[in-house]
Amino acid sequence: MISLSSVSKRFDGKRQVIALDAVNLQIEKGEMVSLVGPSGSGKSTLLNLIGGLDRPSEGDIRIDGTLLGGVSDDELTRIRRDKIGFIFQFFNLLPTLTCLENVSLPLHLRGWPATRINERARELLALVKLEKRLDHLPEELSGGERQRVAIARALSVYPPILLADEPTGNLDSHTGEEILALIRELHERLKATVLIVTHDRGVAEACPRQIALKDGHIVMDKKG
Amino acid sequence: MRLLKLISWQYVRKHLLRTMLTMAGIVLGVAVFVGMHTANQSVLSAFNKTVDRIAGATQLQITAGESGFDEEVLERVQSNPNVRVAVPVIEAVVNLNLKTQSNILVLAVDMTGDRSLREYDLEDGDETVIEDPLVFIAQPDSLMVTREFASANGLAINSKITLSAMDGPRTFTVRGIMKSSGLTSAFGGNLAIMDIYAAQKVFGRNRKFDRIDLAAAEGVSVPELQKQLAATLGPGFEVESPSARGKQFESLSSVYGMLANITSLFALFIGMFIIYNSFAIAVTQRRSEIGIVRALGATRGQIQALFLTESAVLGLVGASAGLLFGLGIARAISASLGNFLGEIYGVAQRADEVSSDPRLLLGALVMGVVTSVIAAWIPARSAASIDPVLALQKGRYQQLSKGENRVRRQMAAVLFVIVFFCLFFAQDRVIFYSGYFLTVIAGLLLVPTLALWLSKAIRPLMKGMRPVEGTLAADSLIQSPRRTSGAVSALALSIALVISLGGMARASYDSINEWMRIALNPDMFLTPTQNVTDRSFRFPASFAETIKQIPGVRLTQVVRNARVLFQGNPVMFVAIDIASLRRESYLPAIQGDSESMYRLAAAGKGFIVSDNFAELYKVKYNEPLQLNTPTGPLSLPVVGIVRDYSDQKGSVLIDRNVYMKYWNDDTINIVRVYLDANTTVAEMRARIEERVAGSTRLFILTNQDLKAYIIKITDQWFGLTYIQLAVAVLVAILGIINTLTVSITDRRRELGVLQAVGALRGQVRRTIWLEAIAIGVVGLLIGLLFGAVALYYSLEMSARDIAGLRLDYTYPWNMAVGLVPVIICAALFAALGPAEQAVRGGLVEALEYE
Repeated sequence: MISLSSVSKRFDGKRQVIALDAVNLQIEKGEMVSLVGPSGSGKSTLLNLIGGLDRPSEGDIRIDGTLLGGVSDDELTRIRRDKIGFIFQFFNLLPTLTCLENVSLPLHLRGWPATRINERARELLALVKLEKRLDHLPEELSGGERQRVAIARALSVYPPILLADEPTGNLDSHTGEEILALIRELHERLKATVLIVTHDRGVAEACPRQIALKDGHIVMDKKG
Repeated sequence: MRLLKLISWQYVRKHLLRTMLTMAGIVLGVAVFVGMHTANQSVLSAFNKTVDRIAGATQLQITAGESGFDEEVLERVQSNPNVRVAVPVIEAVVNLNLKTQSNILVLAVDMTGDRSLREYDLEDGDETVIEDPLVFIAQPDSLMVTREFASANGLAINSKITLSAMDGPRTFTVRGIMKSSGLTSAFGGNLAIMDIYAAQKVFGRNRKFDRIDLAAAEGVSVPELQKQLAATLGPGFEVESPSARGKQFESLSSVYGMLANITSLFALFIGMFIIYNSFAIAVTQRRSEIGIVRALGATRGQIQALFLTESAVLGLVGASAGLLFGLGIARAISASLGNFLGEIYGVAQRADEVSSDPRLLLGALVMGVVTSVIAAWIPARSAASIDPVLALQKGRYQQLSKGENRVRRQMAAVLFVIVFFCLFFAQDRVIFYSGYFLTVIAGLLLVPTLALWLSKAIRPLMKGMRPVEGTLAADSLIQSPRRTSGAVSALALSIALVISLGGMARASYDSINEWMRIALNPDMFLTPTQNVTDRSFRFPASFAETIKQIPGVRLTQVVRNARVLFQGNPVMFVAIDIASLRRESYLPAIQGDSESMYRLAAAGKGFIVSDNFAELYKVKYNEPLQLNTPTGPLSLPVVGIVRDYSDQKGSVLIDRNVYMKYWNDDTINIVRVYLDANTTVAEMRARIEERVAGSTRLFILTNQDLKAYIIKITDQWFGLTYIQLAVAVLVAILGIINTLTVSITDRRRELGVLQAVGALRGQVRRTIWLEAIAIGVVGLLIGLLFGAVALYYSLEMSARDIAGLRLDYTYPWNMAVGLVPVIICAALFAALGPAEQAVRGGLVEALEYE
């Protein structure tokens, strides 16, 4: 499902920083993988490259067989919106939109008809147990609820890949556990490939496969 | 200064584009101010230079308005022992149809005495022409031209020039070419000298002069002599120093000066909003930075001084750029202004060099800096009041006090009450303008509230159009009223200005068309000049008789019009057969009884005045009015006031018999020709040309020609005022660009999220475009509302202080509808750059953006 071949990412500035150095990685369809490592190890960079938010300096990345290198920005966006759902640490909900509107957002961008969008958004919010919060604005929700909305939004088209960047990093431990449980439940029900970047050992260990990064290299890849 | 370098300079460097856009408001305002005033000054200065250079050693000039005076006046002046020399002058601007096609100033003088006042230094030609003036006089076809004019037109000694004189084409011979000197540089070097008695025939002046130039005898006080001559000649004559002519010219161009002031002040006012907006946003964005500096020990005063100094530097740089830009555009404006004044007032003038007044430039510089500092005052105060503890907390970013709009609404309500009372005492000038000013302030206070309401109102519409892009765009406006209110205010002010101008234009065109329909109903107009505002040439009285006898002519009416001084201002009088006018072109009285108005005026027992004359000079119906004529004062009552658009400075209609008696002048400017039912205009044109061919200088205008000419002049006038429109819209566009640039910075993360969840570049662009359109539409709607009020005040101002014309209030709906696509296109244009900026930013950085 996700394939990285000799992927490097360098940031040029006064001093060049190598965030990822010739990384090779295969993640199969339906896997649930955690990505751990200290700050600056390159895990968020790796997630951004897999999510098509950024482009590698070298190497190839394939998502569901599609090579990301060389495609236009709009093509990359299309791949992202059809195959990848994002969950961010700071939720990144649009503050002026209600829960229903936030979840509807990616569907509108795909040009779905209004009635279908409405049905799907309600269905997703029910899936994350927020069916009673449809018309609430993000500022009216707790942190956990906001992350549930963000998860519902990430699942809007039931993408085959779900990328989560510290999904529990901004939540208290109890809420974090709830969110992790929800992600696991969705993974099992929807059979999506899930990649979670985390600092939290508990979250990492909850994933069947764990990958550790250090100084831009994969230093551990453990299954089971 | 250290803080300025450490903090402000870094911010400016980081936001260079925004800083430049902010400055653009000041640049434009100052440029328009400097450009328009410098152009005005250049034209005025060129006129004064021409007068000064032509004046030579002249100490006093005697005139009697444009009508001229009899030759015997010269004898009376010359007989005064205190006068050393007095010489007659005729001055006219004509087109000689030469290579350059430019107008030339013909100075007709009496060579026998004139050399005591002016030096004619010949470079080439027969010296005897000058050495012995009688030679010049003996050859009445003599002409002297300047070296510049000769070179430009390929003329040499003995070259022939054909001039279309009143009695037919006349060939003149160049008998002298003058060296470049003071005199020859008058009127840009396009000067020709002719014998005055030849000029009387050429220009159809009969035995009249335009002016007497004189110098006092040695030891005689010039002011004393001035008083003496004024007393001897009577109030119909003006005895003034040559420089006084500049004042009359200035009076004619005063409307333009006022327009220049309004335009530039408006541009600066709008620019002020852009600066206010930018600083208000900068203060919000730099809250944490200010918090840190405050936490490190900066006082409130230092923070306020920091922002005010920043604004002063910005103002200084912007104003300096505006000065340069303004001086650059002054040349182009002065050329068109010179032509424009010639077309409207018949006072052709050319400015070949831009003359800038250091005081004006300094004033503009100060104005730019002061405007900038005033605009930044409130943001600077709010920066100074930032609590460092709160500023360093996250999540308190850009909060607008909930009470802010309520306070503004309350202040606006109080101001509107005051404005309401001002309307009752609006006859007082100070109260009227105070009311206008307070209305503008009250309106501006209401802008954020109105913008918020309208944004909420259009949100469903935008959501319906584009669920994501439309909603986000509308929300951006709703969530950040402080960010958008400046741009909306600037745009609303611009639109209000456009509507008020458009309303005035529409009312003017409606009124002028109606006036033309009644007053300009003859089939043809015959004039000795190319356009009806030029009065250099005049028909003899016999000309009308000649025309009258042509088969097919039902009726002729002769018109003599000229400017005379009234209360120190050159106003137009129109002498015509009033009884005939009543029969053919019945303009009803708007004050007084129409029938008795025509009856009394036809009997020479009263003046009919135009409504703008009455308004400008506070002349009332039935009250006596005194005009000073060469034969003494003429005092008659105002027997009626009519709506007449003959002249922007007002006009006085008198019966031709009264004019001939008091001005001793039977010449004609225009012959109005009515045809009988069986004759077409084309047939009559052919008959007239056949009858007068080669014997009279003649231009034939059909009814349509004249109306088209008047509409063209009106178009020019409104064309000039539409500079205001262009400037205002340009400044408003800059406001939108500025706001959007800030908006995409503020919404970087939001736009990043949008792209992360699948928005294509085109969709992000559309979000920015729709936001721009939303700002445009909100500004437009508020502007259309404000425009309705501004139109009322503009019509009042026009009536009171500009042209004295009372125009009907008609809201320009067509223009309002026409503005919709203009503003939407302008907003879209303004959004192009920011939208590209929005899609080009790094997505990862955007998502991490705090």
